[in-house]
Amino acid sequence: MTAVTPHQPEDLNHLSDDAFRQHIRQWIEANYPPELRNPPKRLHWSENQVWYFKLAEQGWLCPSWPREHGGMGLSAGKQIIMVEEYERHGVARTNDHGILMVGPLLIAHGTQDQRDFFLPKILAGEHIWCQGYSEPNAGSDLASLRTEAVADGDDWIINGSKIWTTLANDANWIFLLVRTDKTAKKQEGITFLLVPMDTPGITVRPIWTIDLHDEFCEVFFDNVRVPQKWTVGAVNQGWTMAKALLGHERIYLGSAKLSQYALDRLKTLADRMGVAEDPDFIDRYTRLKLEIADLKSLHATYVDVVRRGEELGPDVSMLKVIQTELFQKITDTMMEVAGENAALLEPMEGNRELNPSGLFLQARPSTIYGGSNEIQRNILAKNVLRLPG
Amino acid sequence: MSAAASDDRAESVRLIRDSAAGLAPRTGDLRRIRALRFEDPGFDRAVWKQMCEMGWPGLRLPEEAGGSALGMAEYCAIAEEVGAALAPEPLVSATMAARALAGTPHATAILTGERLILPAWQERPNTLDTKGDTTTAGGKANGRKIFIPQAAGADAFLVSGKDGLALVERDAPGVTLTTERTQDGGNFGTLSLENAPCTPVPGDLTEALEEAALATAASLLGVMDRVFAMTVDYLKTRVQFGKPIGSFQALQHRAADLKIQVSLSRASVESVAAALDNGLTGPARLAAISRAKARASDSGMLVCRQAIQLHGGIGYTDEADPGLFLRKAMVLCNLYGSATLHRTRFATLAVDSDEG
Repeated sequence: MTAVTPHQPEDLNHLSDDAFRQHIRQWIEANYPPELRNPPKRLHWSENQVWYFKLAEQGWLCPSWPREHGGMGLSAGKQIIMVEEYERHGVARTNDHGILMVGPLLIAHGTQDQRDFFLPKILAGEHIWCQGYSEPNAGSDLASLRTEAVADGDDWIINGSKIWTTLANDANWIFLLVRTDKTAKKQEGITFLLVPMDTPGITVRPIWTIDLHDEFCEVFFDNVRVPQKWTVGAVNQGWTMAKALLGHERIYLGSAKLSQYALDRLKTLADRMGVAEDPDFIDRYTRLKLEIADLKSLHATYVDVVRRGEELGPDVSMLKVIQTELFQKITDTMMEVAGENAALLEPMEGNRELNPSGLFLQARPSTIYGGSNEIQRNILAKNVLRLPG
Repeated sequence: MSAAASDDRAESVRLIRDSAAGLAPRTGDLRRIRALRFEDPGFDRAVWKQMCEMGWPGLRLPEEAGGSALGMAEYCAIAEEVGAALAPEPLVSATMAARALAGTPHATAILTGERLILPAWQERPNTLDTKGDTTTAGGKANGRKIFIPQAAGADAFLVSGKDGLALVERDAPGVTLTTERTQDGGNFGTLSLENAPCTPVPGDLTEALEEAALATAASLLGVMDRVFAMTVDYLKTRVQFGKPIGSFQALQHRAADLKIQVSLSRASVESVAAALDNGLTGPARLAAISRAKARASDSGMLVCRQAIQLHGGIGYTDEADPGLFLRKAMVLCNLYGSATLHRTRFATLAVDSDEG
């Protein structure tokens, strides 16, 4: 893969929040490729690498990483401002698993050799990562995963398969949870491995989703031999690290921006369909608008927790449930408002802003991924309300 | 607001909340509440006097008017505690009158607890219009006011009408007060005025009514928060099929959904109170208040209904407490505007959803 020379960023923490926001906003507006705004589907590396490289050259690729590792070392509050500005402009996600997951993991738990080898390659866009967690029989019950690694000299031999691996077809490295002790309690026999995708025995098969996109893949491992030096943390200690990585995901999945984007499109659609002034539509639209406003108020209380440097509790699961179900409810409404246009495969009239069926399908997996909403409700019941059993 | 200022504010709200614990306790039995139910005047004048001594009806009044000049955040915190305690004393309506009368001796009489003056503003169901058809010109009041909470205990009424505000003594000639019991054990008064002597006072009730709507949303928050906590406790202790019923996933998920509603209501009420304290004005201010009241009314009723369901048969008895919370929510949900009224107003104001 082509790569760039990353730039060591200047420290922006001294700016006031408002000045920082303006700085970020102006740079995004000047540099973000207009054709990539609010893409209807998750972009592949071939499409988003131009933006990845721009961020790398600017030194803004890794806002959360410490400065000594090439990150921006931004305070939590400023990181959130940055995300807000990306969302405001409709900036697409890049292939960001290296930035969001592998980097922080290695900074916390990796060896010096691992940090020296991997971090610069993430910053340069040379290593593109994917995440090998779920398996055909280990979805919500992730800890029951069975892909196995057996020690052989200085190597591991891996056999098994992973599924729902986002953009595995773009990646040249994968981080894996594998079973290394079949006799231990299920959470205690799991190890965290880093594996090059070009190792013999690895096969990737894209999964076509219901919105006809190959965002997810299956990855098969057939006697895959990799060096043990790319084990992260201690053998059989992978579960704790993996769980910690999932923690902060929920505050992002719970941001109202996706719902707000959908609601704005609902309004566009209602205007186009000539129903925006119907009392029935106004009532439904107002209910959704109020839901978003209250979600924003609740989300802000969690942002404040992060801003104060406190740990997020398990109650952050609420945000994920509210946001994703609201997103779905809005797109459900779009299907009704669109009338026969709901049947169309492509956006109406070639207008990306009139894409009811596309948004409806995109909203479907949000209640499944990132811990299904049923799992989130289990977390709320058991870890927040402390209900028994 | 800076982080430090906002921390100071949180501390002020915490202090005021703690100070409520004596008169409006969040825990413990509800014997006092039960004893006052369905008896006139529906509340305890001695407790009301103590609430006045604590300065509760004067929270929002300027210091020169004998108040403590605190914000909506503090007022909502007290109103929430009063709701959680199911305290029947008419804090919100008396505050509304005191707010409109601020700076007059009448307000002082309310703040000391010496006289209870309640606003009589409503003439039709389901409205926020304070004007109506009542006239008070020439020192004579004529008209009919309805839905006056805890009117049975009032000494006088602050009557709104076409000609502005006027005070009407309860015992004056031409004044007829009838009361009907409400589900929470209190009462609604209907005030008929036929050439009743009245004293015009300046000002109007519009702003005080908006604050009453938000404070009522906060009371509903207190109601749902406490009944939900009781329900979660019950799920942990009630055993059926050999285990606590809270171990069943169907009930766990319902409890999680109710937790979400309580949390959204809290975020809604508290963020709107903070926005008002930060100077939100105009249509955005009204829209914000409508957002909080619509949420609290809908969620308050939902949480109370589900509290009954999750308590099973015992929840349907008068002996068990969840019913007291449901019946309080039945009174508060449509007071100062129903969820539908506030949603409609929000839609009409057509402000950006970032209003507050």
